[in-house]
Amino acid sequence: MLKPMKRILIFSFIFFLLASESFGGQLPKITFTPHWLPQAQFAGYYVAEKMGFYDEEGIDVNIVHPSASTNAIEQLKSGQSDIISLFLITAIAAKQQGIDLVNIAQISQNSALMFVAKKDKHINKLSDLNNKKVGVWESGFGEVGEEIARSNNLSIEWVPILSSVNMFLIDGIDAMTVMLFNEYDQIINSGLNEDELNIFSFADYGYNIPEDGLYCQTKILMSKQDELQKFVKATLRGWEYAKNHKTETLDIVLDMMKKEHIATNRSHQAWMLDKVLELIEPGSKNVKKGELSEPDFYKTQSILIGNKYIDKKIDFNHFYKPVKNN
Amino acid sequence: MKLNINKSLSSRIVFYVLIFCILLFIISLSVIYTNSKRQLEAMTYKNAEALANNTVLKAEQILGPITKIANNYKWILESSDLPSDSIYSITRKIIENNPEILGTAIAFEPFYYKEQGRYFSPYSFREKGAIKTIQLGNSDYEYFVMDWYQIPVAIQKPYWTEPYFDTGGGNALMTTYSIPFYKTTNGSKKIAGIITIDLALDWFTDIVSSVKILETGYASVISKNGTFITHPKKEWIMNESIFSVASELNNPELREIGREMQKGKTDFVSSTLRGIERKMYFTPLPSSGWTMAVIFPKSEMYSPLRKITLTLIIIIGIGLFLLTFIISKIISKQLSPLSHFANSAHEISEGNFDAELPDIQTKDEMKDLHDSFAMMQRDLKKYIDNLKSTTSAKEKIESELRIAREIQMGMIPKIFPPFPNLHEIDLYAMMEPAKEVGGDLYDFFLIDEKHLCFAIGDVSGKGVPASLFMAITRTLLRTIAPKQHSPREIVKALNQSLSQSNESSMFVTFFLGIIDVETGHLRYANAGHNPPAIIHAGSEVELFETSKDIPIGLFENYDYNESDRYLAKDDRIFLYTDGITEAENWDQELYSEQRLLNTLSTLKTLVPIEIVMSVAKDVVLHVNDNLQSDDLTMMCIIYSGK
Repeated sequence: MLKPMKRILIFSFIFFLLASESFGGQLPKITFTPHWLPQAQFAGYYVAEKMGFYDEEGIDVNIVHPSASTNAIEQLKSGQSDIISLFLITAIAAKQQGIDLVNIAQISQNSALMFVAKKDKHINKLSDLNNKKVGVWESGFGEVGEEIARSNNLSIEWVPILSSVNMFLIDGIDAMTVMLFNEYDQIINSGLNEDELNIFSFADYGYNIPEDGLYCQTKILMSKQDELQKFVKATLRGWEYAKNHKTETLDIVLDMMKKEHIATNRSHQAWMLDKVLELIEPGSKNVKKGELSEPDFYKTQSILIGNKYIDKKIDFNHFYKPVKNN
Repeated sequence: MKLNINKSLSSRIVFYVLIFCILLFIISLSVIYTNSKRQLEAMTYKNAEALANNTVLKAEQILGPITKIANNYKWILESSDLPSDSIYSITRKIIENNPEILGTAIAFEPFYYKEQGRYFSPYSFREKGAIKTIQLGNSDYEYFVMDWYQIPVAIQKPYWTEPYFDTGGGNALMTTYSIPFYKTTNGSKKIAGIITIDLALDWFTDIVSSVKILETGYASVISKNGTFITHPKKEWIMNESIFSVASELNNPELREIGREMQKGKTDFVSSTLRGIERKMYFTPLPSSGWTMAVIFPKSEMYSPLRKITLTLIIIIGIGLFLLTFIISKIISKQLSPLSHFANSAHEISEGNFDAELPDIQTKDEMKDLHDSFAMMQRDLKKYIDNLKSTTSAKEKIESELRIAREIQMGMIPKIFPPFPNLHEIDLYAMMEPAKEVGGDLYDFFLIDEKHLCFAIGDVSGKGVPASLFMAITRTLLRTIAPKQHSPREIVKALNQSLSQSNESSMFVTFFLGIIDVETGHLRYANAGHNPPAIIHAGSEVELFETSKDIPIGLFENYDYNESDRYLAKDDRIFLYTDGITEAENWDQELYSEQRLLNTLSTLKTLVPIEIVMSVAKDVVLHVNDNLQSDDLTMMCIIYSGK
């Protein structure tokens, strides 16, 4: 039996040790902003955060989604986010417009974009889209579709669409640009059967360009090299975990979406997760997971140049600054 | 079970009654169940239809007028050129006049009013009890790409937006009704803009949520895209669609139902969701194109029927149990005398004719059985008593007969050889009565030293009367013979004595001979008896001549004839009664005189005892176990004189 005084001293010492660990060992903070609202498209980040992979790397990651008043690029420019995710084509265009960003990792290696048309519209081949109304997001991602139209000499009336597929469903347009992992499944989940649709996957027309990648400002790359590297490492681990634990991953994603009051359902997110995980695989591309392929970069840049979105070329090495893996 | 059934009559009866009752109940229950099931189904379907249709009507009472309001303002906007500023007061007016409307916008095409620029969309809405009016469009709110604007413009038709949560106003579920209005300039009609009416859906959710059918049945409204607008599962509302649920449950059938709904169809369908078969009635809401569905688990339709059936089965079960109990009690009670009867019968069989019979109070078959038993008991007792006395009487008679036989047999000589000192004569005789006592007789004795008298006779009839008559005849013979020396006289005297006071008219065939042992002279008289056979030494066998005289005992004064002949040395006389020649076998064939002669001819050299025994053996051979019907008497005499 220890004497009371001695006991108090021992407890005080233990308390001191614990307190110094939590206060003294404060982790470096990283703010990450995905380029869209919470959904399975970003499952890897949520899993890494939820499963403590970032913590294990010794970084404290805060995921901040874009809102009605701000988007990912704005977040990056203002310095409120250290890392953002962007479509490769959006990032190249942004960099051309003088925004300071560099690609530190390329998560998605493949294109999920496609045109979809109801079979009863008799759009059976790409050329049938000539003189048709095709929906495209008002917020962007129309560049590749435009390049396909341009290179195939198609005259298309592009109809800007906010986000829903209702215009397509109600036949306000003839065809629509969709993501395989998102809007395509929304259409299916609105009652149209796959055999009632014709799809034109951009990848099948030579435009299998990478999409989601991670970006930061050059100064952050300089100052937080170590944290960025840890972020990328833990993120890739998160994606790997998501691939192997889909049910758990879906629970995390759905929980996140519920908190943000975003309408969805499990079957749609399950579809999205499956498709996004497929997009991450490099397949026959000569890169590893998480790396940006140089030919893909130039191909993407050429689309922007072809469409006269940009007029000068950027060098691959100026754009892609992979954080080194130790 | 089988053992039990076989155990007793009562359990067998109970078993069959029970089987019949169970079968009857099963058949009746099945018929009732099937019919009730059909009726219940029809009732529930009607109820579901009525519920859905009523709810649709209620909804239409609110949704319908909304379309009218929008149309009215469309007409106003199309029929006159209003200054842009006045649009604000129109939207405000709409809100003021229609308390059910949350907000309304009149959104114009870009640069419709040059002075208003690209965006012009006056919007009035309720906020905290007040009505506010603002201009909605700006570069951050490109309303031209909003569903509520873009779609009616594209399709040139009114449009109900997919319901949405109003993030600004307390997260209420809302929908917007949009109709395009047009401007005609120089004869060409062009879209001028869109009128929208925002409507909260809380009233609608309330109406639909209040619909209940059976135990867990409910109503749900599904949007044009298949999204659940109302559903008992709150988390499904605006999240899940009938198609996402179909996909998650991997139920293509449900997906097909959803597609039928989108086509605006009305139908009654069934689908198995999460292992439960559910019935669904769906019908469109005409104004919005949404679908009202009433859904309930199929099994619940039958739950009242199941309850009633279960109650019935329990009641029937108890009833059958009681029935079994009561029937077995009644039957055991009714049949209990039977085992008592069985016991009594057993006792009776063991000789206790006074065995107690069960007491039967009823006047039924059991009473009849009781009476029959009692009668049987009485008759048996009487019969046995009778039998006892008869038996004892019979035993008495039999013993008397036995004595009579002994007496009768004692009356005929039975010591052979009878005259050992008389070398000329050897003799053997035997008599075998058919019954205890017989009517045959034979006798022999020496009248004097040189005369042997022998006789054989057969009394008419058999048994005791014949034996008595035989005894009389024999006694008379012994009395008469020493006094008379001629066979004729002896026979005549016998006849006289017997004929006197012969009330019963019995008679005797009688053969009497006297041999002079020195000379071999045989004198004889035959009163209707079978002619004896004579076996001549070394020659053939022949019969004596047939008698022409009547048997003795019939006519008192009848005069009998006498014959005589000489016997040669070693001649054998064989005397017999008709019991020998008329002995019958099973085929009713007589032994016959001929067979007797044949037999005797094989016995020529034998001594009397051998001849008698041989003939007796041959007769037994002939008869072959057939019943001896007549007395058998034989006598053989061999003369060895001179």
